[in-house]
Amino acid sequence: MEPILIILCVVAGGLLASLGAHLLPVGGAPAAMGTATGIATGTVQIMLGAAMTGLFTAASAATFTDSLLLVALSGAIGATVMMCVVMLMANILYTFGCGIVPVSGRVDVDPLTKEPQAPYKTPQTDGHGVPNCVYVSGMLGGFVGGFGGALMYFALLNYADFSAGTAAIGALAIFVPNAIIAAYNIRGTIEGFHDPKFKRLPFAMVTSLVISLLCGIMVVIASYLTVGGTM
Amino acid sequence: MTVTPAVVEEEPTKKGLSFKLPLDETEMGLIAGIVAAIVVVFTGLPAVIKGIALILAFLWGMDSVRKTSKYGLGTGVPSIGVLATGFGVVGALVGLALAKYGSIEGVAYPAVLVGVILMGVIGLVAGILSNHEKVIAMKIPKLERAMMELGMAGTLIILLECSIVTGSLNFNAVVNQVLNTGLIALMFIFTCFGLLHPYNACLGPDENRERTRMCSVEIVGLLCALLGFVMIILSSFSWELGSIASVTISSPWKLWNGVSLLIFGLAVWAYFFRMFIKACMDEAYETVGTGMIKTIE
Repeated sequence: MEPILIILCVVAGGLLASLGAHLLPVGGAPAAMGTATGIATGTVQIMLGAAMTGLFTAASAATFTDSLLLVALSGAIGATVMMCVVMLMANILYTFGCGIVPVSGRVDVDPLTKEPQAPYKTPQTDGHGVPNCVYVSGMLGGFVGGFGGALMYFALLNYADFSAGTAAIGALAIFVPNAIIAAYNIRGTIEGFHDPKFKRLPFAMVTSLVISLLCGIMVVIASYLTVGGTM
Repeated sequence: MTVTPAVVEEEPTKKGLSFKLPLDETEMGLIAGIVAAIVVVFTGLPAVIKGIALILAFLWGMDSVRKTSKYGLGTGVPSIGVLATGFGVVGALVGLALAKYGSIEGVAYPAVLVGVILMGVIGLVAGILSNHEKVIAMKIPKLERAMMELGMAGTLIILLECSIVTGSLNFNAVVNQVLNTGLIALMFIFTCFGLLHPYNACLGPDENRERTRMCSVEIVGLLCALLGFVMIILSSFSWELGSIASVTISSPWKLWNGVSLLIFGLAVWAYFFRMFIKACMDEAYETVGTGMIKTIE
């Protein structure tokens, strides 16, 4: 057991979870009515889904490899695939079900593809669906969040010497408060990196740093008392 | 004009239905915390008593969720329930790791409460940072206290559930029977829902605390029934599927505890579910049936 590495990995995982939550397209209740950009649910549900998918793929990879990078990357890929499928399905439902075009409500011109957004937006709404820049941002968010979750899983499994089940639930339990504090920071809805709310990121980072540091210390205590070793 | 008499008329029916458990939020927190802490220390107690402590702990957590979410979190009620469960699992891990100090094997594990207190501290820090004007600035009155209570209630709930299923709080026993079997995933989701669902389902302009609490107790009844079922399974089968062929009851203590908890859970669920639906019907202005949905030719 290596206390410094555990704390480093847990803090890095917490910070990445917080960053990931800021990058996801979270629409909340307005998106359920098609009047806001993003996926029609809260940050917690999206982030929990992405992180759990990431943990499944990371746990599968961890059964046959000891490489940190490989485990973390497989977690990231799992979460990214999950996010992509969800965003694609949201777009299919919005376009073919509601008959509205995916359009961003926060910017007039798409920052990546330079496509005009404002003319396609229904008046009095805040955008619809998942347009290009939001899709890319969501992919990045899934990647970063899944990477963070898998990093924590790897640290708890190999550095803290927990069993696979304990490591998975421990990683999820530390991931969740970080993602939720980030959700409180963005007040519920966000489109991605081009959203003005993204500038609030440092506040969530500070909180996330403190919480994951404390959680990391808790994990070190638990690992030291149960598995033993040199501190 | 017609609204006032209707409200006056409703008062007596509300009184008759109100949930008997008295106490305001602070008293509820103190009593639930103390009872749950005592029950969690003595793991030799029958599962039904642990189930009652579980109900109290959930009521405490639900109260904290309610008084925080009343002001509008911006992310929906579920977030704070999931937060409490996340804190709870981390606190329970530390509590279980500490359990061996000063313990009487199979009877009492006083050191687990250190995990509860440590989680209370982390919750307090999270609350202070979330409410501080220069950091996240959520501006919710008494968020610090609510997050501290949620951390403590979450830890107590997870520890009680582990103690019900395992019958002890020995780290290795819990890891083998709860964490490695994947039972923790079920507990995680059920604890989330026990904390977040009552207020999430009842919120609105006419929300009242008694009705929300009925919903909470009802969910804990379901959880108890489920844990009782799990105990029956754990008592008669070993975890290798091959041994199903020769069913031997390895732990009669666990079997009878499981059966009693299952019956207790179902009884609590049935009673409070009926009470909850009745309260909803009575407190609604009018309940009318819409009949079957008509198909258009």
